[in-house]
Amino acid sequence: MSAAPLITINGLYKEFPIHKGILDQLTIAGGRVVKKHESVKALSGVELTVWKGESLCVVGESGCGKSTLARVIMSLIKPTRGEIRYEQERIDTKGVGELLPYRKKMQMIFQNPYASLNPRMTVRQTLQEPMTLHNPELNVAEVNERVVEVTRSVGIDPSWSDRYPHEFSGGQRQRISIARALAVDPEFIVADEPISALDVSIQAQVLNLMMDAREQRALTYLFITHDLAVVEHFGSRVAVMYLGTLCELAPTKKLFSSPQHPYTQALLSAIPRLNQSSSDYIRLRGEVPTPVNLPDGCVFHGRCIHASDRCRRENPALKTYADTAVACHAIEEGRI
Amino acid sequence: MVAARWHQFRDSGFYHDFSRDKTAIISFFILCLYVVVCFSAPLVAPFDPYDPTVIDIMDSEIPPAWLERGDPRFLLGTDAQGRDLFSTILYGTRISMTIGVCAVLLQAFLGISLGMIAGYVGGSLDNFLMRIADIQLSFSTLMVAIIFLAVFQALFGTELYERLAIVMLILVIGIAEWPQYARTVRASVLAEKKKEYVDAVRVIGLRPHRIMFRHILPNTLSPILVISTVQVANAIVSEAALSFLGLGMPVTKPSLGSLINSGFEFIFSGSWWITIVPGVVLVILVLVMNLLGDFLRDVLNPKLYKN
Amino acid sequence: MPGGVPCEVRCRHRDPQRDRSCATAPVRIQRRHSIVSLLEVKNLEVRFAMRRQELIALRDVSFKVEKGERLGIVGESGAGKSVAAFSILNLISKPGYISSGEIFFGGKDLTKLTAREMSQIRGNQISMVFQDPMMTLNPVLTIGTQMTEALHAHQDISREEAKQRAIETLARVHIPSPATRFDQYPHELSGGMRQRVVIAIALITKPPLIIADEPTTALDVTIQAEIMELMMELCESSGVGLILITHDLGVISQMTERAIVMYAGRIVEEGDTRDIINHAYHPYTHGLMDALPQKTKPGRRLNQIKGVMPALSSIPDGCAFNPRCPLVIDLCRTTLPQFTVFGSTRVACHRAAARTD
Repeated sequence: MSAAPLITINGLYKEFPIHKGILDQLTIAGGRVVKKHESVKALSGVELTVWKGESLCVVGESGCGKSTLARVIMSLIKPTRGEIRYEQERIDTKGVGELLPYRKKMQMIFQNPYASLNPRMTVRQTLQEPMTLHNPELNVAEVNERVVEVTRSVGIDPSWSDRYPHEFSGGQRQRISIARALAVDPEFIVADEPISALDVSIQAQVLNLMMDAREQRALTYLFITHDLAVVEHFGSRVAVMYLGTLCELAPTKKLFSSPQHPYTQALLSAIPRLNQSSSDYIRLRGEVPTPVNLPDGCVFHGRCIHASDRCRRENPALKTYADTAVACHAIEEGRI
Repeated sequence: MVAARWHQFRDSGFYHDFSRDKTAIISFFILCLYVVVCFSAPLVAPFDPYDPTVIDIMDSEIPPAWLERGDPRFLLGTDAQGRDLFSTILYGTRISMTIGVCAVLLQAFLGISLGMIAGYVGGSLDNFLMRIADIQLSFSTLMVAIIFLAVFQALFGTELYERLAIVMLILVIGIAEWPQYARTVRASVLAEKKKEYVDAVRVIGLRPHRIMFRHILPNTLSPILVISTVQVANAIVSEAALSFLGLGMPVTKPSLGSLINSGFEFIFSGSWWITIVPGVVLVILVLVMNLLGDFLRDVLNPKLYKN
Repeated sequence: MPGGVPCEVRCRHRDPQRDRSCATAPVRIQRRHSIVSLLEVKNLEVRFAMRRQELIALRDVSFKVEKGERLGIVGESGAGKSVAAFSILNLISKPGYISSGEIFFGGKDLTKLTAREMSQIRGNQISMVFQDPMMTLNPVLTIGTQMTEALHAHQDISREEAKQRAIETLARVHIPSPATRFDQYPHELSGGMRQRVVIAIALITKPPLIIADEPTTALDVTIQAEIMELMMELCESSGVGLILITHDLGVISQMTERAIVMYAGRIVEEGDTRDIINHAYHPYTHGLMDALPQKTKPGRRLNQIKGVMPALSSIPDGCAFNPRCPLVIDLCRTTLPQFTVFGSTRVACHRAAARTD
């Protein structure tokens, strides 16, 4: 790891309180009326470093907290506990105004191309907005020139810039969404499932576009996805998440050739591949627990065939073995 | 540019639906007729009902021209003071519509601002504003208006009241009905706020007020448009009701409501037209606005539209 | 396009048994199974009467499903794969209608049935599994009620028997403690369990054919693998025919024996799944396969198909794929390709022969 850390995340927790009426919150416990706070634990103690120039993929199933992680990093929601640093500076405590210089450096691409563009703004207006906000010194002609440049770079005909989003297909909208992220010339992009809403033939186009941008602009990506096939292709490092915790963090090649954590193994075996029968996947027992009542110990123990008493009691920490970091007692104890 | 916009409009589903809907077309043209005729009342009307010199008390209670004792000078007859009913209705409708539109503008301004803030900021501010709206809605508009206007008349005298009648009515009706807007706007802001484009502009670093007014507001315009048509109709009805009760426009500057009221005492003595004709004018006006509101709601509501 | 219509009509009159085509290419398709297919769709055309124009969502679609066969229909959104499945059950809603074609099932033409007769087939003879389990499940009724409802509607059966059948079926789809689940509501189950219940509802009347529209798309990968395995197992053990609609080539490859590839409302390729995966003739199928990340070395640019699928309102002349096709020749821009047969595959492409090497 010769590169410098770009984003450092320490002990990150995020809980969403469940909004109930005041009467539902009150329960009687031990003869007294107690106000009970229930919350969804979306992130429970995430430690992660994004190195400059890498493409870190975060994979996991729905509800594992990967999108929350993206939103917390982008300061769209404030974490409950923990800190996030951009280079050396803490960004999780900053307000809207203080964040402005960081907004220019970090941008985000969203999942749903049909919801991520304002339906009442033309492509030009959508792209001009970030440019004029972050580069107030530019005059109208310069801004327009840049709009043309960035639309062309994402493969959209600049003569279409006065059209509204509904006139474009899903893939084209996602290109526009990428153009908006690139408009401020960022160095770090968080992509939250950017291709999962697109058709197969379009997915390849958008993925290629993102890889081209990575090469031309020396971008660092945090790529959130549930699709392991894409991870294998796109990522340089992979973080596997389960119920708000990180279970494995490894270089892509290593993770796909020798997955360590039992959950990673199950996940990898479940990808439907061409020319492979479906019977040889690892079956998991039971069900994913709800993030409202997290089990004690390792969050995965209920579905894990290697679970021991210790797994049910004690939460495993992320430990590094060679270049892989795994949070699993069984591996630590040499049982697997 | 204008031509391009027009073409865009022509090609839109909105225009298509409109051109298929006979009720909407007829309503729209009747409303246009009302607007054009009433706001050009000084040019169109044969008499100026505000000018005492042209009013002759000897002309009072002449029935409409097509009736037996009718006078061809007075198409719709005259009222108890000898004013030409047609001219008075034109001027009165103008006053009614002005009050309706201005009151709704005031409602919209209050309601949209407060609803937007409640929806976007959320939390306890949202709770606070919405509870105020609930309390306000639990008093009926008319009750609030009656109390307020009656107190004002009692305190400052009828003369001052008559001078300020239009402004007072606009204020009272405008303030009494803002929760309608606030609720609608808040609901659509809550829906829009969840969409990713709002997150996207937050990531860009825009300030909340710019996000609210530049990005969210334009996307909540459809429901605002729908309730606006209905609200204008409601405001006109409220004004008419208040005037009918003697708390609205004075008889010297009658609106439709006060005209209906002024004729009411003659209805059994045979001069029914003084009440009925402005009544019909009012009903048609309110009806076409409600019909247009229904049409807009059907077209702009994507849920209904799917079926 | 209009030039093709009289041609087809002539064909059908001359020889109804022959597969639809006037081209000189060999067009007969060998079927391995019985003479009478479980389901046969012939020259199906579905139109949508939109505000100002008629859109043709499905053109000239013909295919068969044999008893116990698992057929996959692949395509991108808008290719018409769901419309094809919905039209089999006459489930196309208002602006859409079947404008021509026949659908034979159990000796009857489904397009000619009354609504009443159709509801006897639906859920009884042909069941459907949707992408979102909540589309099938009613949130205010217990799972048991919803399962026995289907039985009572189609069969003369006592309450006790129905309950017994329902619990047995729940057990068949591997739902733990089925007797308890019988009295629960859909919201008490996880997404994977709900989809199992939907499959159980589809199975309970023991239909010979199930149509599954993206049954695993909304599920997580590990759950998807379980559901896929379950559906495979059920089809194999009870000889149920399956039409599986999906955009995921991996799912098609693992679950089906035969596959149909659709593009812009037409079938462009049909054949044994193995052959289609290993040796696609149509450039579109080929492109789809090639665009999968696993086909390219990590970190390299993926092989992409340029452009997008045309909207139904602007399908180009000739082959609909021609603006995106790497092998396009002038003929493709003017003439609609007819099916050519290569081994188990039939493919509608002028340049299919170019792929044979």
